[in-house]
Amino acid sequence: MTEARLVEELLAFIAAGEADEEAFNRMALAVFAHQFETNAPYRRFATQRARTLRTVKSWRDVPAVPISAFKDLTLSGRPPEECPHVFMTSGTTKGVRGKSHHPTLAVYDRSMTVNFRRRFMGEHDRLRMGILFPTEQAMPNSSLAHYLALAKSEFGTAESRYFVSDAGLDVDGAIAELSRAEATGEPYALLGASFSVVHLMDALAERGRSFALPAGSRILDTGGFKGQSREMAAEEFYSRLSATFGVPRRLCINMYGMTELSTQFYDDGNEACPSVKSGPHWIRSRVINPLTGQEVPRGSVGVLVHHDLAHFNCASAILTEDAGVEVDGGFQLLGRADGADAKGCSMAVEDFLKAARAS
Amino acid sequence: MERAGHLPGLSADAVDWRTLTFRRGAETLDVAVPVLTEPQVAELATRVRTNARTYLRRRTVAEIAATIDRAVARLLDRDDPWRRKAERLLPLVTGYDAEMVRLGLTGYLKTFRGPELRKFIAEDFANPAVLDDFQPMPKGGFARAFGPELLLHVWAGNVPGLPLWSLISGLLVKAGTVGKLPSAEPLFAGWFAQILGEIDPELADCIAIVWWKGGDEAAERAWLGRADTVVAYGGNDALEAIRARVPITARFLPYGHKISFGMVARSALDAGKAGAVARQAAYDVARYDQQGCYSPQTFFVERAGRVSPREFAGYLAHELDALGSKFPRRPLSMSEAGSVASWRNAEETKGFADPSRALLGDPAGSWAVAYTDAADGLSPCGLNRTVTVVAVDRLADAVPGLAPYRAFLQTVGIAAAPEELFALAGALGAVGVTRLCALGRMTAPEAGWHHDGRFNLLDLVTMTEIEGSAERAADTFAPYTD
Repeated sequence: MTEARLVEELLAFIAAGEADEEAFNRMALAVFAHQFETNAPYRRFATQRARTLRTVKSWRDVPAVPISAFKDLTLSGRPPEECPHVFMTSGTTKGVRGKSHHPTLAVYDRSMTVNFRRRFMGEHDRLRMGILFPTEQAMPNSSLAHYLALAKSEFGTAESRYFVSDAGLDVDGAIAELSRAEATGEPYALLGASFSVVHLMDALAERGRSFALPAGSRILDTGGFKGQSREMAAEEFYSRLSATFGVPRRLCINMYGMTELSTQFYDDGNEACPSVKSGPHWIRSRVINPLTGQEVPRGSVGVLVHHDLAHFNCASAILTEDAGVEVDGGFQLLGRADGADAKGCSMAVEDFLKAARAS
Repeated sequence: MERAGHLPGLSADAVDWRTLTFRRGAETLDVAVPVLTEPQVAELATRVRTNARTYLRRRTVAEIAATIDRAVARLLDRDDPWRRKAERLLPLVTGYDAEMVRLGLTGYLKTFRGPELRKFIAEDFANPAVLDDFQPMPKGGFARAFGPELLLHVWAGNVPGLPLWSLISGLLVKAGTVGKLPSAEPLFAGWFAQILGEIDPELADCIAIVWWKGGDEAAERAWLGRADTVVAYGGNDALEAIRARVPITARFLPYGHKISFGMVARSALDAGKAGAVARQAAYDVARYDQQGCYSPQTFFVERAGRVSPREFAGYLAHELDALGSKFPRRPLSMSEAGSVASWRNAEETKGFADPSRALLGDPAGSWAVAYTDAADGLSPCGLNRTVTVVAVDRLADAVPGLAPYRAFLQTVGIAAAPEELFALAGALGAVGVTRLCALGRMTAPEAGWHHDGRFNLLDLVTMTEIEGSAERAADTFAPYTD
């Protein structure tokens, strides 16, 4: 199948609105076949695991690429120089950044907009938005910058604006907008990186400001803290979010996405933490034991593997480093699955890298 | 239900207990750990301090060592109820293979028998009597070494029995001792105090073994504020938090996380020797699943031997596999499994991009050896029986790359001819390595070793000097003065 044909089929698959096991399987095998044929490093990887076009019979057999491989390998069906769009991870370890190449953003954008409308917009077609993240122009390789720009252009009103620029966080601008929303009663949407939200909350607390945004207002945070702000436990984060902006916790929605995917997961608000996350019909997740690759019994903690058919050019199946547990309606995300509970006194990778950076 | 800790003078009913639950397969063990109130902390601190002053300080170091020797003898006796309990419960608590714990305990405890304790003392004090009484000094006058009245140990880690190093060091300098149990293994230190109590109850009253939840600021502050000296083990972040709470007038002795590695010279790589060397190296990797600061994470292996570095990596893999059936790895938590998996995955994908690299491992992920031909240097592995073999032209080539990690280097397990050994030792010591030992001995330091290059006993004491002037002046006030 040509790339153009595959893109066409994927767009139709997304538009279909749902997919049963068989339909998902068929599409997954087509995507795998495309990746196996066009993407040499992925083919090597799959072959090493004895997964070929002959042996892969179900989407569950599609070998999942560890997320770290995006740092060491160029995983792209199309030669990278022919891909006008490259998203890169923030890349804190050793300064190597994982890359996702996109020959076209048609599938990515469709995946984002269909899903975003359903999971974030509620009954609204457009909302006035404030964005706590740099623009796409400022961060051309950030998938999140692109995602938020898309949210603004497709679902924001004309007055929607950014609060982050070269000059940093525009606290006064945010206060003016939030006050205005409070006064007019027009529902407002605040979207951004979780760490930017923390910075804004801290700045507001310093000035003793809080808001009661109009009914229907909502907040979307994503990406965790990444060492860019202090760490906050989810429970504390959402209760403070709700208290600071007057948005009920069921409308404080967390998006879970990654540079190595083209589809995002959402929860239905954060009344209870950890929330249950789920994705649309073109992405499926499994919870596995990372050492054996076997799925763990339902309800046990394991590492998440995502099969995202929209990520057709690189690798649609990825093995994350995120711990999770499968529950009714999706999965709960339990943080990173490595380096958390070293018990002994042997030095672990994290500390070593810190030492290496310091010297 | 096991009760942890040792609280002389406090009735168990007066104390709040929290339960820590340990699981291994179908077996579970509940361990009750004490949670003390501030007044109880104050009471216990005062009691330990007073008892140390009135009892411990009047014993000779030889008498104290004899008591420790008797307690250790009981733990070495496989029929003793304490030893039986240790063999039964420690595998359950730590998750380590029972046989590995049994052998490990024996080897470890042997370093604290009477003759070994004398080595500890002799390593640090040319004249051990200086711990008992004023002794003449070469420069003139007299001096006596005093341990702290209240020495607080903040223990960490789950290598069984680890707290004994510092606990015994403290007793040998006659310090009143308070130890904070690690949550990962909250039993052994308390047992040891109780065994001491069966031999010498008054000595055991100079020891309190307590617990608080790591990071509990209030509890930590209550104890830290009362100690003369604090010995603490842990990661640098944890140590930094503790240091910030230690009063400026107290002495703080931190033992941070370390990284250790092995070196194999071409002289050890002939067909006759390489197999045995690999077996010893694998043993160092497997023992306590690399949780110790002395556990190797990388092996530098010299090229141009009869056995190539790549072949050596294969030998090592083979030995790790064999050890895996003899001493199975303990069950890993999901986050530990995640660390191992992400390290393995990263090494494997590097291999796709670079044919000079390879990853050897079993499908179940119970061990893995990464091999690299590139000039990679020291790098931490995924722990839990994962290791990197780095090929080098000459072992000395690996040394300059170690310099950035000076503060973190500890043990080097080495297989090399005498001349190479001493040449390398000089270079390694200069970049911060503090211990060189044979392969196969990395996880079992000898009695009296200088942990992280420091003095076990000497760091704890202060010297009180009687200067020559005082002595001469005293003479003028003596009744026999003319």
